[in-house]
Amino acid sequence: MRLTGYADKFSVHPGELIRFYVNCDGPSAFRAEIVEMVLGDTNPRGPGFIERPVPSTAEGVYPGRRQTIASGSYGFVPDNPLLAPASFTLQCWIWPTTPRTDPHYWRHGPQGILTKWSEGQGYGLFLDAHGHVELRVGTQSLRSSYPLRDHAWHFVAASYDAATGKAVLHHEPQIVYALDPPPAPVEAHFPLGAGKTTAPLLLAAFAGAAAPGNRQHPSGHVTIGHYNGKIDGPRLASRALSRLEIEFLKAGAARGLTERTHAGPTPALAADLVAAWDFSIGIPTLTATDAGPFKLDATLVNCPLRAVTGHNWQGENFDWKHARDEYGAIHFHDDDLDDARWEESLFWEVPATQESRSYALKLTTSEGDEDYVPFWVVARLGSPAKKIGVMIPTISYMAYANEHMATNGAGAELLSFRVPIMQDQNLFLAEHREYGASQYDVHTDGSGNHFSTRLRPILSMRPKYDSFIAQAPWQYPADLHLIYWLDVMGYDYEVFTDEDLTYEGLSRLSRYNVVLTGSHPEHNSGPQIDALHDYTQRGGRLMYLGGDGWYWVQTYHPGYDHLGRGVVTELRRCESGIRGWQAGPGEYYHQSTGELGGMWRFRGRNLHAVAGAGMAAQGFDVSTYFTRTPDSLDPRIAWAFEGIGYEEKLGNFGLCGGGAAGLEVDIIDTMLGSPPHTLGVATSAGRHTEAYLLVMEYYGLSQPGIDGTQHPRVRADLAFHETPNGGACFAFSSIAYCGSLPWNEGRNNISRLTKNVLDRFMQDGPLPPPPPEAIKPRGRADYDPAALRP
Amino acid sequence: MITIPGPGTPERQRLIDEHERCIRSMKGVAGCAILRCGSPGDTTSLSGGITEDPLLRAVLQRMRGQPTRGKLVAVCTKVDAEWRIARLSGVPGVPPRFVDECVFTDEQEVQHAIFLRRLDEMAAEDGMPEHFDEGWKRGRHNWL
Repeated sequence: MRLTGYADKFSVHPGELIRFYVNCDGPSAFRAEIVEMVLGDTNPRGPGFIERPVPSTAEGVYPGRRQTIASGSYGFVPDNPLLAPASFTLQCWIWPTTPRTDPHYWRHGPQGILTKWSEGQGYGLFLDAHGHVELRVGTQSLRSSYPLRDHAWHFVAASYDAATGKAVLHHEPQIVYALDPPPAPVEAHFPLGAGKTTAPLLLAAFAGAAAPGNRQHPSGHVTIGHYNGKIDGPRLASRALSRLEIEFLKAGAARGLTERTHAGPTPALAADLVAAWDFSIGIPTLTATDAGPFKLDATLVNCPLRAVTGHNWQGENFDWKHARDEYGAIHFHDDDLDDARWEESLFWEVPATQESRSYALKLTTSEGDEDYVPFWVVARLGSPAKKIGVMIPTISYMAYANEHMATNGAGAELLSFRVPIMQDQNLFLAEHREYGASQYDVHTDGSGNHFSTRLRPILSMRPKYDSFIAQAPWQYPADLHLIYWLDVMGYDYEVFTDEDLTYEGLSRLSRYNVVLTGSHPEHNSGPQIDALHDYTQRGGRLMYLGGDGWYWVQTYHPGYDHLGRGVVTELRRCESGIRGWQAGPGEYYHQSTGELGGMWRFRGRNLHAVAGAGMAAQGFDVSTYFTRTPDSLDPRIAWAFEGIGYEEKLGNFGLCGGGAAGLEVDIIDTMLGSPPHTLGVATSAGRHTEAYLLVMEYYGLSQPGIDGTQHPRVRADLAFHETPNGGACFAFSSIAYCGSLPWNEGRNNISRLTKNVLDRFMQDGPLPPPPPEAIKPRGRADYDPAALRP
Repeated sequence: MITIPGPGTPERQRLIDEHERCIRSMKGVAGCAILRCGSPGDTTSLSGGITEDPLLRAVLQRMRGQPTRGKLVAVCTKVDAEWRIARLSGVPGVPPRFVDECVFTDEQEVQHAIFLRRLDEMAAEDGMPEHFDEGWKRGRHNWL
């Protein structure tokens, strides 16, 4: 793929600028135009791809230029005379994850730990390509006698005395197994000094060529040799310290040990202390604080993982806010990314009258290249509102952004239950790891990817793209099935995104009589779920048009607020839920806000409580259909089935698995938050395949019999309940549901059901009250009549 | 672990024939299962395939659970028009490579072609003590 791009916003208001960043690698020029995105699915059994040109000031031909991404996290302190002592000691704890890599690994080679070294000048601690700790002083090198163990803490230190030329390197594993060689320092005589370099001091990388003023390289140098793993307690002293002094210096700047007369840790060491970085300070920030006397704070680039356990974690406290001293580590990854930092290619000043819809910047070249950069025009608060608001699940788009599951996860095929089918985007991403991973992936070092940024091309968020998961559209292109349906049915509506709701709360939702979700709003911020509850409790109507919603805790990183709303989102997958990786012990609390991560369910916010149904099973081979239940005849909901026969198969067709019930499916569960007056009006029970498996949070013991041909909870339930003040929720409970809406251009029973519900929900004022006999006490556990039998 | 029936055996031919019947019936479905649609391209009624042939189910599971290095995958090279077979590298940052020049014009057909190729490539026996290698010592996460 030679043409890729992104925008500075997902959500732009009329009258605002939206800026676009384009990589055009080869062709001399590209064409840009704004289009309204209506349907992104090219499946020949559906209506086909639909976009509408939008005349704009952005339309035109622009010079092409290659733009690359400098991924890999690091910290930097700009060049400073204090950082160039003739003699020095460097020390820190490290927990390397890839001390050795495959020769074909995308960034095979030496890794910088604590360096002020570039092109043969300066000094630094490294891991060499064979996994040994290495001290470099100018062009001279000394390495540990044996390589480091991966995924284990080691204390490493190096001293150099410029007067004598003596260099000493210590490598002391924290864990020593019975057959390990004994740790011992190594020494060398370096007749030459370190030399001079203007390179910055770098944490977790070393400096390449100078790149002054280059946005991609905030340190002023290209950074190379990115390190994978944790670093804890780095120190720099301006003298070759003895091993005993090195031991003292582990305490870092410790004024309390000197009755606050010096930076510490001892009066003698205080005199020679240059810097003692304490990563436990400012965990929600992008600053690695120097607690030493000179305040040589490091700026963190590409959002490395903080709030992770240090070498001294005791396993007693699991929340970094209550045991900061044990959270002094940062986990750096060579594929971390917070911002592609491209040069702007063009902008569009969105006209004040622009309708709120899904749009994209369509990019093409005369040589056949094509890309789309989706964005949404969102009405300002206070402007005249539409009755229908469509909530675009952008946090979920970010969670899946640029997923590598099928190229890097052997389990992908077990999940999809067929051979994964990939597209150009997947092959490109497999080679270009610098485009960053999704929160479903592990980093190239095998650890979980906690962050996702929207300031990069997101190649999975594209029209004409089928995900291997569904062999059909997924997330963004799947949600266009709904957009098409609203369009073809003639509804007027607005769109807004997860970040609009997170930052605006009920102010956003209260504009609408009814709010529609996308097909898979799985990842949510706390303020977002608060607002949805506030809305439905005040009489708002919610149509949950998907499956597996309200599942994971997500937070926006405050360090990027200056770049806009919701730039980087954080996820910690904890001890339950469907997860391709799991956060480490003691690492469940978000660095962004300090709140506990994992599933909302285990924070006491049951997913079934939001719209009436919650995730029960997933399977990705084929979908099935719903049939009505006696509840559907209840006068409280019978209106929803006008024009639909009781015996009709609901949705035995569709563009996601061939049916309306499938992929990820939700059920009513009064024990997990479904209100006891919920009506289960249709279900897909008994029709799912062996690929569909009960979610793991529904059982505590490993057990057979949990697939769709065996387990009664592997199903999707269409669920309705009233909320106070004339509000209501209807859960459609299946990711595949929206894929049936466009079938036969909207002339089908799924479309009819959806229309009946939407027409009722969008009316002004409270919904008609339920019949008086519906008002009665209801328990939770006794909701099942069979439970009362002796 | 389940043994993959050898070349020329009736069991192997039975698996191939049923797999092919399922795949043909799935043409037109936006998804795929190794099951037979009652009407081609319509998932309303499903039968056969893995539900009626436990050996087919087990062999497919063994194929699906292989580690990434060298694993066969399908790649759509022209949207809704062309598909090819590729092989995963198993190394982060090293993309899949196409195994040959063969182009399929149906996304389900490529599934069957990969099934046939795996029958030929995979060892009949695996996962027994005699197949022990050093990699068994590492708790290799199947997701990686």
